[in-house]
Amino acid sequence: MKLLSLTLRQFRNHVSSGFAFGAASNVLLGKNGQGKTNVLEAVSYLCLTKSFYAGADATAVHCGTSMFEVEGDFVSDVNVRHRVRIVYDEQMRQKHFFINASEITKLSEVIGLFPIVVLSPENNSITFGSPSERRKFADLVMAQSSKAYVEDMMEYKRVLRQRNKILSDARGNDCSAVLAPWTEMLIRHGSAIIHRRNTFLNEFVTYVEKAYDAVAHNEERPSLRYVPQIDVSGAMDRDAIAAALHLLADRKQADERRTGSTLFGPQRDDIAFSIDGLPLREYASQGQHKTYLIALKIAEFWYLKERCAELPIILFDDVFSELDETRSHQLLEMLAPMGQTFITTTSERIFQGVRQWDDEHRKFYIRSGTVVLQEDAA
Amino acid sequence: MIYTSQSLEQLVEEFSQLPGIGRKTALRLALYVLKMPREEVVRFAESLVRVKDNVRYCSVCWNITENDPCIICSSPKRNAGVICVVEEPTDVMAIEKTNEFRGRYHVMGGALSPLDGIGPEDLKVKELLVRIEPDTEEIILALNPTVEGETTTLYLSRLLKPMGIKITRIARGVPIGSNLEFSDEATLTRALEGRIAV
Ligand SMILES: Nc1ncnc2c1ncn2[C@@H]1O[C@H](COP(=O)(O)OP(=O)(O)OP(=O)(O)O)[C@@H](O)[C@H]1O
Ligand SMILES: [Mg+2]
Ligand SMILES: [Zn+2]
Repeated sequence: MKLLSLTLRQFRNHVSSGFAFGAASNVLLGKNGQGKTNVLEAVSYLCLTKSFYAGADATAVHCGTSMFEVEGDFVSDVNVRHRVRIVYDEQMRQKHFFINASEITKLSEVIGLFPIVVLSPENNSITFGSPSERRKFADLVMAQSSKAYVEDMMEYKRVLRQRNKILSDARGNDCSAVLAPWTEMLIRHGSAIIHRRNTFLNEFVTYVEKAYDAVAHNEERPSLRYVPQIDVSGAMDRDAIAAALHLLADRKQADERRTGSTLFGPQRDDIAFSIDGLPLREYASQGQHKTYLIALKIAEFWYLKERCAELPIILFDDVFSELDETRSHQLLEMLAPMGQTFITTTSERIFQGVRQWDDEHRKFYIRSGTVVLQEDAA
Repeated sequence: MIYTSQSLEQLVEEFSQLPGIGRKTALRLALYVLKMPREEVVRFAESLVRVKDNVRYCSVCWNITENDPCIICSSPKRNAGVICVVEEPTDVMAIEKTNEFRGRYHVMGGALSPLDGIGPEDLKVKELLVRIEPDTEEIILALNPTVEGETTTLYLSRLLKPMGIKITRIARGVPIGSNLEFSDEATLTRALEGRIAV
């Protein structure tokens, strides 16, 4: 999939900006706070129906106005064009999403149609932050490659909310009779998700190993391990997972009553990252964290490439500012054959001498939410 | 919003109580009523009151009816041994339209949903249990394929199984009217995985 053109209206600090993109790479240049990341965020709205970083839709509306609009022309790998448009109305708190002329009422249906891989400073929390950040990472890869997973997740979250409501309403009183069917539903859907995550991570680890090797150029061995609350070692089937969850549910009963919330299920999963057997969070250097993160994203690209109908679009926000010149050039070289890339950076330096700007490779200067011809233009 | 007429404001307020009607639509409807001929407005208002006065719930199946028991429950042509359990009266209408089903119904009046404050005691569960007799052949659970409908199906099947009656449930079909092939794919995947068990 490639994004040929993009229009932002009243989106963040862009009142009205238009882009005609190159099929290979697109570099967004400009000083801090000028609106480069905002352009990537707009692309994310078209591909995922939302921002790639947390944040309410309302914050993306240009200050002093009441709605934003983003429109883009995509061309698929078999040359079919799609005009995609998203409009957010702040007063009505409504998001309208259109593919060609038809409105898509179920936004979750869009996930995976326009696959993207995003690497931005917020993603540092994937290796540094809490388990929820790692789940979010895995969930987005899985969601973009499996529509069934999207549905499973939505239903699971719904069951979880329903079950939590019973527990919190009970205020410590016995609610086991009312809870029983919801516990069973939670286990039914939860075991499906744990099974899928287990299968996914078992496959994904080989992609990460390959990607780490390509990014790091050293002898280090990365590894990645799924850590649900139950033991899933060996290829556990869904029934076995459900049985284990049942036992766990029984054990957690008293605590759940006390805390008024669900204490078991895939919403408490983690993924353990390590290099040469040492847990990343406790042992890795800043540079190793960064390398690991880039490897995860390259792995994500390779994985999606094999499973989606379309080649993913790559959004790299501010990735190069933290890398030295050699690493930057290596990474640029790696990205070159991958797909269409969008890169934001404050300095053109790393491209000097290694990139020719032409029809396929374009650069854009952004200043105060507008596209200008020259960085130093008046 | 401040209107120049108290009655208009009141009507907008009433309309916006209806499901799926926001204030903007409510205002449009109210302004439309203002333009309608008086006799039409009277007819409309009377229909509202009449539906409330005349329509009630069948004391057997809890479908809406003007006579109790309803025509389905009192028809000798319908097989009393087969009970199809649904969430709402609209589901009865949908199944009746197919002209395929010759048994009787039981309308639960919704599905379990703690977030909406609906527990087992808010549904017609006891009313279903008292209908089960030695000659009851089959109970068909035809609740909606939502998380809430599925949980209610689960709840009812656990409740009914010990009674030794045949319990079936309708297959989860391909949703109609979705504009992408998407749902079909997900439905298919899940069907293949055989994820529906009672
Ligand atoms: N809703 C909004 N309305 C108007 N301006 C906004 C809105 N949201 C953010 N901005 C402005 O957008 C600018 C930030 O844009 P962006 O994050 O794209 O910058 P950037 O070019 O990526 O900068 P950096 O190099 O520092 O990452 C800030 O000046 C901010 O005030
Ligand atoms: Mg930025
Ligand atoms: Zn009846």
